[in-house]
Amino acid sequence: MNAAVRTPVPGSLSQAAFEQRLRDAIMDAASLLNAKLLPVSVRSAALNRALAAGLPQVRDDLWRYADLKFLGSAPWAPAPAAQDPLRWVDDARARLPERLPGFERLVFVNGRHAAALSDALAPIDATLAPLVPERTRHERFGWLNDAFATDVARLHLGGTRRLELVFVATPVDVPQALHPRAELALQPGAGLTLVERHCGSAGDNSLINVAVQLHLAAGSHCQHLREQSLAAEAQLLDTLQVALDADAQYELTLLQLGARSARSSQRISLYGAGSGARIHAVAVAQGPRTLDHSLLVDHLAPATTNTQVLRGIARDRAHVAFRSRVEVTAGAHGSASQQSLKGLLGGHGEVALRPQLEIHTDQVRASHGATTGALDENMRFYLLSRGLDHETARGVLEWSFLEDAICRISDATLRHAAEKSLVASVGNAVASEALQ
Amino acid sequence: MSSLLSIRDLHVRVSDREVLRGIDLEVATGEVHAIMGPNGSGKSSLSHVLAGKPGYEITAGTVTYLGRDLLALPAEERAREGLFLGFQYPVEIPGVNNTYLLRAALNAARRHRGQGEIDAYDFLEVVRAKARQMKMDESFLTRGVNEGFSGGEKKRNEILQMLVLEPKLAILDESDSGLDIDALKVVAEGINSLRSAERSLVLVTHYQRLLDHVQPDKVHVLAQGRILRSGGPELARELEQRGYDWLLETAA
Repeated sequence: MNAAVRTPVPGSLSQAAFEQRLRDAIMDAASLLNAKLLPVSVRSAALNRALAAGLPQVRDDLWRYADLKFLGSAPWAPAPAAQDPLRWVDDARARLPERLPGFERLVFVNGRHAAALSDALAPIDATLAPLVPERTRHERFGWLNDAFATDVARLHLGGTRRLELVFVATPVDVPQALHPRAELALQPGAGLTLVERHCGSAGDNSLINVAVQLHLAAGSHCQHLREQSLAAEAQLLDTLQVALDADAQYELTLLQLGARSARSSQRISLYGAGSGARIHAVAVAQGPRTLDHSLLVDHLAPATTNTQVLRGIARDRAHVAFRSRVEVTAGAHGSASQQSLKGLLGGHGEVALRPQLEIHTDQVRASHGATTGALDENMRFYLLSRGLDHETARGVLEWSFLEDAICRISDATLRHAAEKSLVASVGNAVASEALQ
Repeated sequence: MSSLLSIRDLHVRVSDREVLRGIDLEVATGEVHAIMGPNGSGKSSLSHVLAGKPGYEITAGTVTYLGRDLLALPAEERAREGLFLGFQYPVEIPGVNNTYLLRAALNAARRHRGQGEIDAYDFLEVVRAKARQMKMDESFLTRGVNEGFSGGEKKRNEILQMLVLEPKLAILDESDSGLDIDALKVVAEGINSLRSAERSLVLVTHYQRLLDHVQPDKVHVLAQGRILRSGGPELARELEQRGYDWLLETAA
């Protein structure tokens, strides 16, 4: 495409200005970018790919619901490490979520491993080569994480593990860019229960650009709870890429509960025969919040399976979007896919649901459905007729709507953790009793 | 006996259709009334209007409950003032614990009366006892509200809610429909257990069979949005034998 006719999404930021900002950021951050973390060749290749991809275009279907206006002012270079690391740690400690019993914990503060808040587990397994997946324009901001990441949780996991990764943001004096990163490889047959949380506040006009990549070797399984509960001003880009070998099973639950603007690009690649993914996502938005999700699932081998339950609530003037494309390639006969997308509207909120299915082979079972609407009046009246006030009734019904996804989490600890986080978001203290 | 509920010349429209065309009804404290009538006669509309369901336009008439203008109260306040509607089609609310709803409802009424919230353990004792009375397995208490319940189980759950909330006025909208004979007995026993000098019941039903188990003080026939005839329990038996047509013909 000719650069001259491009119309980038963030109105105030031209393509040329974007490129210049990235080059400046690399110069500014050069001393911070640890070559041991990722080789310089990988970093510069990633930067070049990001430069070539540029900003998403207005008409790009993959990006049309994202609110990326903040890219016009957000920085890319990570902030220098704290002069006073203890202050960061104290600040972060206050923002840490409660510990989950039986989980090993690694904490990263402003993109850097915080040993004082973590268990004695080395964040980087030196025996493991960097896990840098193939990325496309859909995962384009992952390249910028490759280029700018300051630390990583890089683990090669065998046996049965329960692990919690907490990425805490704390405000510094100036707008900062954080590039939280995880690279996890499961050994054949391994089992991982993973909780990944993003919380805190990076400060006004800051950028949080997450990249998480997982590789599930043959026969391994992973249950993954991702919770985003960042402060209300946060601006988030998120890239998740998961690759599955034969018979590997992946269960993803995404809780998108915070931030001012969040864009999550997720790609699940079912490379191995018999591999499968179950995806549950819940997004709750109010005020001016925009939560955009783009999910790509590729069935690349026979007998691969994928089920999706995606639920979004948009209140006030908020926007929630779920775009989910499933592609079943020619070799993936005997595969099955189910997509269920639902939106719940309150006030002048908007929910955009876009299930898409592309099938290039026979013998596939596939279904998809998408519905959006306001609270059911009969349900509401039933609760009012039992004496509940309007606010409680709304909370109860929103809870019921979201629980449809959450109740499918197979691990009880993850399910309870998710429910606890959701209760806070539904904004109804009474709903917490509904758990008992 | 003092009047608990007094309906005078009530006219109600839904969209462009007049569904109630001048209802007069007095229910005294402690009485059990049965309102019978063919399908489409306005029975459910009357129940809904009394409970405060949106979508009904009151074009004329008054409803006085406990000496207050009932129609001026929002639905949730009517409930907290002791008015209970047993739904003909109870809704399912998946993922919301049945016991939670019971406790939230009870506590809403208690707060309204200036009482504190009920102790959680005392509450569980009460609910378990009432569930046994309704011959409902304890597992129903931890399931989602009406989630996956059969038609009969939903009706029992409505009566369970009524037993826990102990309303002053219960309007039971076809609580007998869809019940087998055993379930009908359990529901009737639940209703009878709440009969008292301080409480009034209005049974809205199509058939006589519930009235074999719950003896009403007064029976009214509602058709075409009006009460065509009122009488004692013998009226219900007459309807069972002769159907509704003879009344409709005499009214016409």
